This record gives sequence, structure tokens and C-alpha cells, in this order.
Amino acid sequence: MTSPSQATKPGADTPGPEDGGLSSTRAAKNGNDLVGRSPGQLMWMRFKRDRVGVISACIVLAFFAMAALAPVISKLYGKDAYTRYGQQAPVGELLNDNSYPVKPNGGMSSEFWFGIEPGLGRDVFMQLVFGIRTSLSLAVAITILSVLTAIVIGVAGGYFGGRVDYFLGRLTDLMMSFPNQLFFVAFTPVIMALFVDPQDEMPTWMRACVLIYVMWLLGWMTLARLLRGQTLSLREREFIEAAKVAGTPPVRIIRKELLPNLVTPILVQSTYMLPNFVTAIAGLSFLGVGMPEPVPDWGRMFAKGAEVYQSDITYMFFPGGAMVIFILAFNLLGDSVRDAFDPKAGR
Amino acid sequence: MSRVSIRSARAAAAALAAGALVLTGCSSGGGGDDDSKDSKAKKQGQDVSYTFADAAASKGPAPEVKGARKGGTVKILQRDSFAHLDPGQIYVSDEGALSTLMHRRLTNYKKVGDNKYEVVGDLATDSGQKSNDGKTWTYKLKSGVKFEDGSEITSKDIRHTIERKFAPFMTEGPTFIEEWLTGKGPADARKELPDGPYEGKHLPKSMIETPDDQTIIFHFKQPQAEVPYALAMAGYGVVSEKKDTKQKYDKKPLSSGPYKVASFKSGKSMKLVRNPEWDQNTDPQRNQYPDAFDIQFGVSFEDSTKRLMSDAGENQYATSFTNQVDASSMQKVRTDADVKKRSVSGYQSYVSYLNINNDRIKNKKVRQAIAYAMPSQSIVSAFGGSGGAELAGNYISPTLVGKENTDPFGKLKKPQGDVEKAKELLEESGKKGMKLTFAYQNAPEWQNFSVAAADNLKKAGFNVQRKDIIADTYYDQIGKVKNNYDIYHNSWGADWPSASTVVPNLFEGRQIQDGSANYSHHNNPEMDKEMTRIRAITDPDKAAEEWQKLADKILKEDVPALPMHYYKAIQLHGSKVGGVYFDETLHDIQPTSLFVKK
Repeated sequence: MTSPSQATKPGADTPGPEDGGLSSTRAAKNGNDLVGRSPGQLMWMRFKRDRVGVISACIVLAFFAMAALAPVISKLYGKDAYTRYGQQAPVGELLNDNSYPVKPNGGMSSEFWFGIEPGLGRDVFMQLVFGIRTSLSLAVAITILSVLTAIVIGVAGGYFGGRVDYFLGRLTDLMMSFPNQLFFVAFTPVIMALFVDPQDEMPTWMRACVLIYVMWLLGWMTLARLLRGQTLSLREREFIEAAKVAGTPPVRIIRKELLPNLVTPILVQSTYMLPNFVTAIAGLSFLGVGMPEPVPDWGRMFAKGAEVYQSDITYMFFPGGAMVIFILAFNLLGDSVRDAFDPKAGR
Repeated sequence: MSRVSIRSARAAAAALAAGALVLTGCSSGGGGDDDSKDSKAKKQGQDVSYTFADAAASKGPAPEVKGARKGGTVKILQRDSFAHLDPGQIYVSDEGALSTLMHRRLTNYKKVGDNKYEVVGDLATDSGQKSNDGKTWTYKLKSGVKFEDGSEITSKDIRHTIERKFAPFMTEGPTFIEEWLTGKGPADARKELPDGPYEGKHLPKSMIETPDDQTIIFHFKQPQAEVPYALAMAGYGVVSEKKDTKQKYDKKPLSSGPYKVASFKSGKSMKLVRNPEWDQNTDPQRNQYPDAFDIQFGVSFEDSTKRLMSDAGENQYATSFTNQVDASSMQKVRTDADVKKRSVSGYQSYVSYLNINNDRIKNKKVRQAIAYAMPSQSIVSAFGGSGGAELAGNYISPTLVGKENTDPFGKLKKPQGDVEKAKELLEESGKKGMKLTFAYQNAPEWQNFSVAAADNLKKAGFNVQRKDIIADTYYDQIGKVKNNYDIYHNSWGADWPSASTVVPNLFEGRQIQDGSANYSHHNNPEMDKEMTRIRAITDPDKAAEEWQKLADKILKEDVPALPMHYYKAIQLHGSKVGGVYFDETLHDIQPTSLFVKK
């Protein structure tokens, strides 16, 4: 069980039975004065001691930094993700007559660090960096929206119970029954027919919005269910009842009493959700319905890699490697965060 | 030969990232252009020549293929099942390849040397005797040529072959001879004999005469110079008058060639066995080496390429009529010496054009700007480089007689497009920033090209809107005269090695209608008049020269469409299959010379 809410107030000297006891013994061992610590601080302390967790966090942060700083990297590196370097050079210089890189290992060189894309001849490193930027921006947006939705629906259902809970629960079930990749594939042409002039291309921002919208619409249910369950059990606890007796309005109870106790599942779940969205977006791109060319895209690099793997397997290496590392790091981070919040569970 | 079938999208191979990690490490480089010699040699394809052969050259038997032996079974891997076996319904290239083994015609193509082809008499004793005014063509039939049931082929059968093409159920085949005989368009020509020959009526003697069983005389309304070409089409393969079963003939035709159908399961397989009634002494072009052909359908280009590359087990005895090496395997095929020596390659007659909708873009400067901006090299790359395509300078394919290497828009010198020049022209026209809707087929080749094309057009100052259209309906969409697109691509191939089935189809004003090949809606009465004039020229070589000149004139002065690339193909065969060569009149492997090695 998570710690009671009172403990979140820094320095509160009426801690919950578990955490309070823990913190006092720790403090005593260190030989210092008795220091009250919030669960947040405790979590941070435990997390810092978890080496795998710290390394994973660093890797994840590095990915986000790379995505955020992509234009800067491009400037320093001196190339961009759109120019067809290989095609614009004479045939035989960068790309050969069959439009595969002339040099071994996918055309890797001091100039093109990760090699050159077969066919269009763009820089693989830049494609990857900007592709990660596209995928991560989308995934972050979807995660934030999904988490917010899940909180509203899950907590409302759990707290109010009765009819509200029934309807919200059925809504959750209904949404869960949609297969989201298929839904997206079917949904995009509808949007296109409704909002785009038949002579125009679907604007990139609209494609991104549709993608975010559909993934969000079909992505919040698991977390909402989890939060509902948590809320249901918390609602019966004494401190909530005390707050109710004291005449605290429901909104305040939810905000001040319930939510702080739900931080753990929310944080842990979102660290699982985000990499899932990244892979889902990549899956859509692999199927050819993700972000359109020429927007750099992580998932589309896999599609290209699958196409050219017979003659240029190196091309698959970088997006594939990056994806494996990213997902692995993010999942390990999720585990560490959970362990840090709740040391008794797991292991 | 109308549309090019779309090379189907590559199978979405589920190459997992994790798997790739294990496999990866290094891949050897693509290497330099070690194929340059190869491609230069091939450029001589432009000197392709055709002659109409006399009686001596039309005599059988066909020369023996070196090292050939009789016996064995050749396995054929094909992507699509054959929709039609009735020769009158055959117009697509895979059925055309099959028909070389089954259906004889009045004339036929015969390869006599590198890039040298003869049009020989097949059922006829020579390629045709023309009257002085060019309107009357006389053919004498060889004697002793039989159908598979043993009945002799007579001039009545030839007349029947032509006449049945007027019947309402004949919908797919070519209509040239009918149009020339009646002097009318394809729809009106049918009205001359609405039920075909089945109600006992025949075409009047003023059109077709059969004075005896060995002679047939065609009377055309206009002088025609290219009759031997037209009669060599698979669509004019001979049909027995007595054994014609109308619609049912499409499933069970009577063979006149060296092989006949033993079994045919549509969509699955087909078996061809020797036709004992075929006499090699009457046939100047075909051989009959294998005991049988075992055809398997539903094999994608990727699959057939992989199987033939592996050369394992039964694949050693396999090849294909029309399956090509797909673009993504091109590198491997061309760099692996063992595979390369089991490959044949050549030009196909198709050319890809980027049409500019002349109804919507009336400003010539804008059209020129588009033409200059296009990166033709990108489409060549998308088709797998010089193994699958070659940069086009003008409208005329290298497989056609009289092809010149003119290059009015500098596409060969600047294969990546001349963006600067395009920018200038667009600014002069005062249309900078105009919206340009670019429609393309959502096949991988065209998608790749569209990225490069849109990039160049944007740099030149256009507001490009890319529209991908599902491959199945693409030609229906752009074929509408009132379509909403500004630029779109199409591919067109000649029916025989003369530009007379290219230039008018693509650029004659009166052809404009829904579904016609004049996708650019080019309509210039002055050019139309030229076409009428050239059609009347009776010397084929002279006409070819004039067609090339006119094509260049249209390209330079009107810019209705930009030629982008000439199609080429590489095909593979197993190590136990011999006698394989690429026949440029068929655009693929010639089936009649194949044999099984010991």
C-alpha cells in the first residue's frame, strides 16, 4: 500500500505507520537528529542507490536531450535530414548505380557517421535523430493526454462509485475493445475526406493530430482502470472519511487527499506507457500509415530497413539498436521507479 | 500495350530489430560502378533494327540452340495467373509470352543477332507482299501446318481469326487490323460485322479475300506500312474455324505451336506438354526442347528472385516468363557473380512520362519549369538503378526503330533536374508559389520518387501538394478528363517497334476522352496534322525518322509531358536451364528456345 497523504507535507510529524517508522530508523542510524522525510525524498534516496535505474534514467534523458536538441546537433554536424546527399552527388560517388552506398557498412564514413540511406541518399544519423524527435514528441503528447484522461475518468469512477462508476466502467470497456492500429488505419482516410480539399495533401500537422488523437482515445483505459481500483480502496480509508466528516468538498478531497496517494501508479504506469506508444507509432509507420515522407520518422526507417536488408543490413542497425536501447532503458527505469516508491513489492 | 502492371509492393518482411542486431555487424559496400561497362554496352540497344524478311528467311526449321538437348521439364514461376488463353483476348505481356509456345500467327519476330530482329513469315511464307499503293497485303500460307487436332490451317481459319474479333465477347485484344480494314475507330469497326462470323456472315471481299486455301488478301482503306508488325501480335494468333467454341475457347484453345495445355488450374498451376502435330520444319523461330513446362502461379517478384538466386533443388530447373528481379534485390543480383551469370537483361518498350495537365496549366513557361525541375535520376534509382531503368531524354523508347538520342530538356546532362532554370522560368511566368497537385501511385517506386520530385519543385518555387492514389484505381483517376490533378505519371509501351503506336496515342488531340492514354490532354491541331501526314508514309524507316522528329517537336514546343525513364528488366534462371535470352520484342525471356541442361 502506498503511504498516507499526510506524509507528503514536508516535516509532518504524524507520519503513517510504515514510512514514518522507516524514516526514523534510517535517520537514527545516520546518527543525525530525527529528520522527517517525505515519501518523495525517500523514493529519491532509494532510487539513487539503484545503479541500473540511474543508468537507465541517464540513457532515457540522453534520448530526450537528443530529440530536443536535434536542430543544434544538425548544425554542429553540418547536415540535415532532408537533403538527398547521395542522389545529388554524381552516381558512383556516394551511391552506386543500384542506389546503394558505395562504401562498406552502409556508407559509414567520417562525413556520414551512420551511413547513407539507400535510394534517396539522405544522412542516416540525421534521419535517426530527427526521427526520434518526431516519435518522442508524439509519444510524449499522447502519454500526457492519456494520463490526464485516465486520472479524470479513473478517479471519478472510483470515488463517486454507483451509477457514475458503472457508466465510466462500461465506457472504458468499450474503448478497450477497439483495435487501435486498425482503427487508425481506417480513421485517417475519413478525416482526410472530411477536412482536406481533394486537391491538397493532408498537412503534416493534421496527420500528427489525428495520430495523437486516435492513440490518446484508445490509450488511456488501462491506467484508468488501475486508478479506479486504487481509488476504490483508498476511499474507504479513515483519512478520507475524516475529511468527509470535516465537510471537505469532493474536489478538494480528490485533489488533496486522493491524488497524492496515486502518484506512484501514475508515474510507474506512464513510464511503461510512453515506450509502448513509441513502438505503436513505429508500428504504424512500418505499415506505411504513420507520418508521411519527407518527415523523418523512426518507424519508417524500419520499413526501409526491411526493404533493403539483403544488400545493406547496416541500415537496420542504427534505428533498430536505438529502439532496443530506448525501450529497454525506459522499461528498466519504470521498474526502478516502482521499486523506489514501493520497496516491498516485487523483487 | 497500355499500362505497365505495377510491380507489387514488397512484402512487409517482419525483420525485427533484435534479429537485425544479431545479424548486423557489417555489410559489404555496394562498391563502385563496376557495371558501367555493362550499361554502356547496352546503350547500343538504341541501334535496334527490324527487317521484313523474305520467303527464304521464313523457312523452318529454327536454328538449333547451341548445346541444347531434348527432354526434361522447365519450371516456370509466374506472379499472375493467365486470365485469357484465347489468342484474340491476349494483350498483356505474360499471356503474350505464353502464346509464343501455343499460338502461331501469320508473322512472327525472330532474333537474328544483337539488337537485330527480323519479322518473318510464321504461318505465311514470308512477311507479306504489299501492293504498290500500300493498301493491299497478300499472304500465302505454308502447307502442312496443323492444329493440335491434326486439321490443317487454311486461309479460312485466318479469315475466321480476324472476323471473330468483331464479335461482342472479344473485348481485350488489339483492334488494329479491324480498324484498318474498315477505316473506322474501334467501336464503329465492330458494327461492320456485329455478331462476328457466327451467324454465317463474312466480311465483304473488298476487305478480306480468300481466293484459295493457301492465300489471304487484306484490303485496307488507307495505305498501311506496318501490317507485318500488327499481324505478329499475340492477339492475332490463329483460331480454328471448325473448333471455335466462342467464349469457351478462352479456357480451352486449340494449340498450333510446339506446346499444348495439358492442365490448367487458374491461379495455381498450368502444365504444357509437347504438341506432336507441330512440325518444326514449318517454323522458322520456335524450338521444342523440353518435354513439358510446369508453370506455377502466385509467386511474387521477391519470391521468384530469392528462389532463383538460391538455385537450390527444383529451382535449378526454374525460370520465369515475365517475373523480374525486384528493385530491392537488384544490388545483390548485380554484384554476386554466381547470380549475375544466370541473369539476362534488356529494355522493355515502356517509357514513364510525367504528364502535365494541359487543361489546368496553360502557361508554357510553368510547364517548362516543371520539366526542368524534375529529378529523373530519382525515378531511375527507385526502379533499382541502371538494371531496372535508364534516364530518358525524349519520348521514344530505345526499343523503337529510328530512336535518336535527343535531349531537349537536358535530362541526361542534369539528371537531378535544373532547379535554378526552373526557378527563373517560374518567376518569368509570374506564377511563383502556385499550387501544384502531384498525383502518384502509392507503389514504393513512385513514393520514393515523389519525395525527390516534391523537394525539387518546392525549391523551384511551387507549392506542391502530393496526393498518393491507390495503385488499383490510379489509372481510372488520372484517366478522367476532368481530374483535379496538375501533374501525374503514366507509363506507355509501343505495341510494335514503331513510334506510330506511341506518339498518336499519347498526344493526338482527338484521342482525348475518359480513359485514353492522352493523359496530358495535349491538343494542338498543327501536330495532329503532322501525325496524319506521317501515318501515310509507306517507308517504315522514313516514318520512324519523322515520328522521332515530331515527338521532339511536341516535347520542345508544347511540353505536354516530360519523359522520365525507359524501363529495363533483369530476369534470372536456374543453372540447369539453357537457351535463355532476353527478347526485346516480348520484353522478357523468350520461352521457345529454353532447354534443360544435363
